[in-house]
Amino acid sequence: MDPLIGMGVLALMGAAAVIAGISEDSESNVGSQSNPNSQVQLAPQMMYPHRIFNKAISGEPPSNALMCAIGGTTAAILMDALGMSALFSITIGAFVAALAHGSYSTMSFFGRPTSQSRFKQPVYMDILRGHISPIMAYAFVTTFSIVIISYIMISVLNHPFPLALLAFIWGTAVGAIGSSTGDVHYGAERQYQNTEYGSGVNAAQSGNIVRNGEAGLRNGIDNSWFCIKFGGPATGLAFGMTVFLSGWITMVFDPSISQMIAWASVIAGLLIVLVLIIFNRMIEVSSRKSYGPYKADNDEVTA
Amino acid sequence: MAAGGEPKKVKSAIPPKTMIAFGLIGGLIGVYAGHFLSDMFGPVLSFFGALGAICAIVWGADTVRRVCSYGIGTGVPSIGMLAIGIGIVAALFGLAVGGIAGPIIAVIVATILGLIIGLLGNRLMKMGVPIMETATAEIAAAGTITIIGISTAMAGTFEITGIIDNVIANGFIAVVFIVGAIAILHPFNANLGPDEKQDRTLSVAFIDGSIAMILAGIVVAGVSLASAVPAILIGLAIWLFAFAKYLGYVKRDAYKVVGTGLLPTEEELS
Repeated sequence: MDPLIGMGVLALMGAAAVIAGISEDSESNVGSQSNPNSQVQLAPQMMYPHRIFNKAISGEPPSNALMCAIGGTTAAILMDALGMSALFSITIGAFVAALAHGSYSTMSFFGRPTSQSRFKQPVYMDILRGHISPIMAYAFVTTFSIVIISYIMISVLNHPFPLALLAFIWGTAVGAIGSSTGDVHYGAERQYQNTEYGSGVNAAQSGNIVRNGEAGLRNGIDNSWFCIKFGGPATGLAFGMTVFLSGWITMVFDPSISQMIAWASVIAGLLIVLVLIIFNRMIEVSSRKSYGPYKADNDEVTA
Repeated sequence: MAAGGEPKKVKSAIPPKTMIAFGLIGGLIGVYAGHFLSDMFGPVLSFFGALGAICAIVWGADTVRRVCSYGIGTGVPSIGMLAIGIGIVAALFGLAVGGIAGPIIAVIVATILGLIIGLLGNRLMKMGVPIMETATAEIAAAGTITIIGISTAMAGTFEITGIIDNVIANGFIAVVFIVGAIAILHPFNANLGPDEKQDRTLSVAFIDGSIAMILAGIVVAGVSLASAVPAILIGLAIWLFAFAKYLGYVKRDAYKVVGTGLLPTEEELS
């Protein structure tokens, strides 16, 4: 393939991946899925009832793999069996996935608070009505973007895997990155805005999440409003870079040309990882220095 | 479940033996009915396979519920993945070597694999869950029937060539895997808590099973378009019925179901 066209295809995939990452993180934040969910689950048991959506489907990787696999499967059937156009098939596939995801989310919303009835956690129906549509909308955007990435890989880059399987794999990947990147911003920051930055989640604070919002009682949509400012874009950037850079090294150093160039692509990949590790470390150290409370703690120990 | 302080053994209105009989017999009848009726009348009747899968899913969800009540909080999703992981190995092995007896051989292989993995978990990794061996064998068998059931509903047969052509080669095995795994792990995960009830959890298993059935209906459209109709319609009917039941159980068990409102007051909580 012409290298410039290859780069264009990669850029398109990267852009779709950024959107998928942002929507994936926002989707998990509206419903409090994955790691922050444990605190939402714990809160009523520590006598902190709340008005936050408790979406416990599973971890983010399986649940995103699920909706992307459903979207990919439906799109593949519509394209192959019914001969529909790719764009139309992928849209309907993402819609079916969003419906299924809405069903799983609703069951968790009802189930978890109901199983905490001894702690007097009510089930608020307006929370379901207000949250289920953003959850399904974000699920639609994520699935649509992931199936687009998978479709481009097959139709343009001639990837040998079938659409449903690729969508499944990329769904797991976006879920894993959303869980590791975006959740930190929600779990450690938003849920514990009342504690000092960098102090971590103390065991004594377990379940003591912030339950009052900027106006009124806080809910999942307030949380996504906060997390879309940093956690969502960070997730999108991380996933977009994963898709773009992992494709970039083999696009620039095409392994099909010679063995030497194949090794060059491996070395380029290792260099990228190394640069990212050093860069991450520098950011962490500088942010701890600027905002962290550990300096004072150390003084106390030495004194 | 750790912070709830609930008793170690969960209360079951329906005893485990009944659930095993329901999942095993119902599941195998569904799988064989899906296979033979599709043989005779075409893939339009392959949806029986998905009905068999629903029986197995309900059994699997009940087993997850029993084993996870021993304090395996975040391990609930892992148990479901384990079930379907063993299931996929056992199902493909059984169908490849067994011919017409394939599903039965697959279930036997899965039970043996499950027992071994349960023994490893308890003896080697010292998990110390009293029912670990039998429960792992049960979820493995349930996962196997789920995989075979959904695959049969998608392909209209459980012969290995048909499964390879219609389910594995085009990648739909991915959706069989994940939708089966979530259907087994999600019912208990969604209802996790000290006041979890068996009937409420199992009604979610029916809902998740019906989603698997609808998906099998979408995929069987690749074999023949008309066959998709009964699977999707019956799946939707099961979803609606099970959801109505579930909503009833939620209203019965919840502290209160309110349209909107403030948080409970201090006096209310104490």
